[in-house]
Amino acid sequence: MSHASTLQVLGRDTPRQDGVAKVTGREKYASDMSLPGMLVARVLKSPHPHARVKSIDTRGVSDPQAVTLTPQEVPGIRFCPRLVSTPEATYKDWRVLTDKPRYVGEPVAAVAAESEEAAQRALEAMRVEYEPLAAVYDAFASMEEGAEPIHDVIELNDQALKVERNVACQMEAREGDPEEGFKAAAHVVERTYRTSRRYHAQLETKSVLVRPEPGGGVTIWSTTQTLHNTRILIHEIFGIPMGRIRVVKVPLGGSFGSSIQVNTVVPIAVALALKSRRPVKLSLTREEDLHDHCSYQMVFRLKLGADSDGKLVAGHLDAWLDIGGHQVQAYPLLGCVVGWWVSLYRLPHKSYVGKAVYTNKVPSCAFRGYGNPQITWAVETLMDELAEKAGVDPLDFRLMNYIGKGDLFWGQGPTVKSIIQSCGVEEILSRGSEMIDWYNRPKAGSQRGRYRRGVGMGRGYHTSSAGAPVPGTVVDFGGAMVKLNEDGTFDYVSAMMDHGGGTMDANAKIVAEELGVPIHKVNIVNADTGTTVYDVCTHASRGIYSGGGAALKVARQVKDKIRENAARLLDAYPHALKFRYDPERDQAVIYAEGVSGRELTFKELAYAMRHKNLGTVAAVDSYRQPSCPPHFTGYFVEVEVDTWTGRVRPLRVVAGADIGTVINPKLAAGQVHGGFAQGWSMVVNEDLPHDPATGDLLNRGFLADYKVPTTRDMPNLDDFTVFFTDTYEPTGPFGAKGIGEGALNPVAGAVANAVQNALGVRFYDLPITKDMILAAVGGKEGQA
Amino acid sequence: MSAINRQNTHIIPVDFQYHQPETVGEAVKLLEAHPDAKPIAGGTDLVPKMKQRLLEPGHLVNLKRIRELQGVEDRGGEVYIGAATKLRAVERSETVQRRLPLLYSCVRSIGSVQIRNMGTLGGNVCNASPAADGALGLVALDATVQVAGPGGTRTVKAGDFFAGPGKTVLGRGELVTGFTVPVPGPDVGTCFISVGRTALDISTISIAVALRMKGGAVQEARVALGSVAPTPLRLPEVENWLKGRELDEATVREAAGMVSGGIKPITDIRGTAEYRREAARGMAMEALTRAGGLEGRSQG
Repeated sequence: MSHASTLQVLGRDTPRQDGVAKVTGREKYASDMSLPGMLVARVLKSPHPHARVKSIDTRGVSDPQAVTLTPQEVPGIRFCPRLVSTPEATYKDWRVLTDKPRYVGEPVAAVAAESEEAAQRALEAMRVEYEPLAAVYDAFASMEEGAEPIHDVIELNDQALKVERNVACQMEAREGDPEEGFKAAAHVVERTYRTSRRYHAQLETKSVLVRPEPGGGVTIWSTTQTLHNTRILIHEIFGIPMGRIRVVKVPLGGSFGSSIQVNTVVPIAVALALKSRRPVKLSLTREEDLHDHCSYQMVFRLKLGADSDGKLVAGHLDAWLDIGGHQVQAYPLLGCVVGWWVSLYRLPHKSYVGKAVYTNKVPSCAFRGYGNPQITWAVETLMDELAEKAGVDPLDFRLMNYIGKGDLFWGQGPTVKSIIQSCGVEEILSRGSEMIDWYNRPKAGSQRGRYRRGVGMGRGYHTSSAGAPVPGTVVDFGGAMVKLNEDGTFDYVSAMMDHGGGTMDANAKIVAEELGVPIHKVNIVNADTGTTVYDVCTHASRGIYSGGGAALKVARQVKDKIRENAARLLDAYPHALKFRYDPERDQAVIYAEGVSGRELTFKELAYAMRHKNLGTVAAVDSYRQPSCPPHFTGYFVEVEVDTWTGRVRPLRVVAGADIGTVINPKLAAGQVHGGFAQGWSMVVNEDLPHDPATGDLLNRGFLADYKVPTTRDMPNLDDFTVFFTDTYEPTGPFGAKGIGEGALNPVAGAVANAVQNALGVRFYDLPITKDMILAAVGGKEGQA
Repeated sequence: MSAINRQNTHIIPVDFQYHQPETVGEAVKLLEAHPDAKPIAGGTDLVPKMKQRLLEPGHLVNLKRIRELQGVEDRGGEVYIGAATKLRAVERSETVQRRLPLLYSCVRSIGSVQIRNMGTLGGNVCNASPAADGALGLVALDATVQVAGPGGTRTVKAGDFFAGPGKTVLGRGELVTGFTVPVPGPDVGTCFISVGRTALDISTISIAVALRMKGGAVQEARVALGSVAPTPLRLPEVENWLKGRELDEATVREAAGMVSGGIKPITDIRGTAEYRREAARGMAMEALTRAGGLEGRSQG
């Protein structure tokens, strides 16, 4: 593409501004911070999956420095910790500390003391009397008549809402006439799929440090994906004027969606800091973190029908979401589940019923892909089966039915619709299938012997942001400030958070590209809520598309101001001035072409403006993206199944991604590698089951019994190919789209299809464990 | 106070006294004097147990300063390994790599490089986990455990050292000082295999096999499995059955069936009993095939 060849900064691998600090261990995360006079807090957690707190006795706490906190001492309001949706889509059922715990591990009380050890001793001296209630660990059992109600009344849009049958919320959607559609279908497949609960296993556990300020304010350093929503929530709960709440950006030690909501530790630490009038730090142990969040477990009943030519004609999806004890974002997710589903393949007739159900388990929240990996696994599995039934190659079947350029896209749910303007699906599938030699893959179930190889594919996408031409129920806009410093460098200031993937560096590169300077001339400022305009959250793979879009908008304004001011100083017409970069001076230059002496470096410009009192060249603005472009991905995976031990190994991966203009190729490829690892593990490994005897996690929160893959579980790097398509997103900054979640979404389908290709057996429950593989192989043909 | 509010892997809220003896004699005296003392070397098992409050020792006796507990020594017919030798040092020892390839494989299978840089072979054994890969290798190699105590020194066969999960035959004040491992002759083939949930995991099931061969026949067999019983498990009935038999595919298959039937696995969070029985069969087939030099001929 011609656009790529003119780029100076984008598309090249550049070192990250935070790289040295991160690899040398000098980066300070919230959990590393400390302040003089700081207390350290511990949370008292419910050992019961469902109970009423009858009394809390703190008299046993003998430490005179210890400060305790009980449910009676916190504001009695109900809230939702996630502030991304509009009020009519935000269900509130949380409290700072609960007197009716709904899962093992729910915070009931807290204590702060001089050290973590002292706080732990004080915690152990507290006595809580509980009245245990019946608990339920299965979404279907929870909806049965007579099941113990987990919530009686919650809140929606400032109105009390009675909960019936433990259904937290529900959604239905329908287009066309599915019943007639299925009647006309030549081939129909219907299956039931069940996914697992997965723990995010982000490197840093949830942490916060709160300093009470004179005048009743607080300063907050916390693990979060959103500075401004943290401030809004603390304002809502505690009534502190927003100007007195300062939420400061600290590097985030990974998240994968687990800090879209304000973490449970934040309001607890604020309450303790306000009570003790001392700084309070609260970091969850790894065990507590495993009791704090996990992915949504979903059960799908999915039915698809195709006509005799292999065109999809109708679909129906029932989705049940087991959300655990509270709602973080169940209702918006119900919209996304249907959105992800209907935006994969064209379905003229379709219907959907989604229900989110409370259970007495750890609350679920977004986990990279936000339900997309789950539903895409089911769809991509069923597409293989339906293709087989229709006698069409699964790859060709996808090419006949995928949603691409010019089609309507509503991945982020029924209220976030836009038209797709860039699409690399065909390129992904054609190049990928060639590299893996798709059409010569083994015939499913044809192999005998111990080791069996299979090749599978899966495709998908994720949105880049939740932008759209009209407002919906999802808030999505951001902002930035860019200013010219007196040495000719720029400061880029934004509330946007970087999960660790390099989002802020990418956006700084966009600023550098627009202003015609090398990346080292753009400084990323670690800001806070007081010095930035609103940014909703770094999620929905919107960091580059929305955050970078805002950065570009502001950089353009700065460029105009440079032009205007230089024109005045150079006695030239602003629109006639040109820009170039002078590597010898390491300065960008603005000049009137062909007129000797009519030029200024950016440094000279800023210098002159200061001494002539003309002000600072700066701009600050908000930006809303007008579209929600999907970034498309596709995986071709070769696996080897050991039918003696049930072990599955990835041998070869070919991954294609359409992310528009690539900003940092190595970091983008890194997202694909990480996405593969998580998707792989979702298929063959991860689950977070509860013990029905105690209601606790079966592993009781210990990471030794929650395994995530390491590099040793991955293919050799030489056998892992990542390629990017030649695409350009017209609405994206310099043509760019997202990558974070699309890198994961189709992996599970591709891996599961590869296992099926190797064994001739299809699995409908995740994870596909070694036990399941041995049982299936043994049941089918006996020990090889 | 409920377990969820007490147990984690981060905080030790209980006080203890820390001792740093320089000799085995001093260590033994300290252990004898304080019945609630625990020896600590790498601490990779002990410290998490203390944080989880499974152990709350009043005294910790650090063994890392005792020189005589360190190092790998080639003594000709046997290799001596000090109990406080880091797993990573055992793994990187040329003597171990060359003369005890089975133990090398077992030790490499333990944890990550970071963990092996802290943990010791003595710790891996004295923690008495049925899943300990190092312990399994020593059992399969018929190593001898050197013990020092108030009554002097004594030796215990590795196969007799374990009394149950987390339990050993060590008495009060006793300490493991090292391991004497007989070097298998050139007619001995060995093989270690383990399966975990991921590459970096405690074994769901593991097997170590040593076969002394003459021609194609088994002269002597040692078959040991991990994570299938309360302790690392030798299977004498399989070993005796193999003795004198020609090792071919049918023999391997039958022996593997005996292994599968001879173990006593339970269902736990790492795997089901049924899985372990089924996997044991395949793993035994592979281990016997490879140890017996049949590799390439039999792949099922």
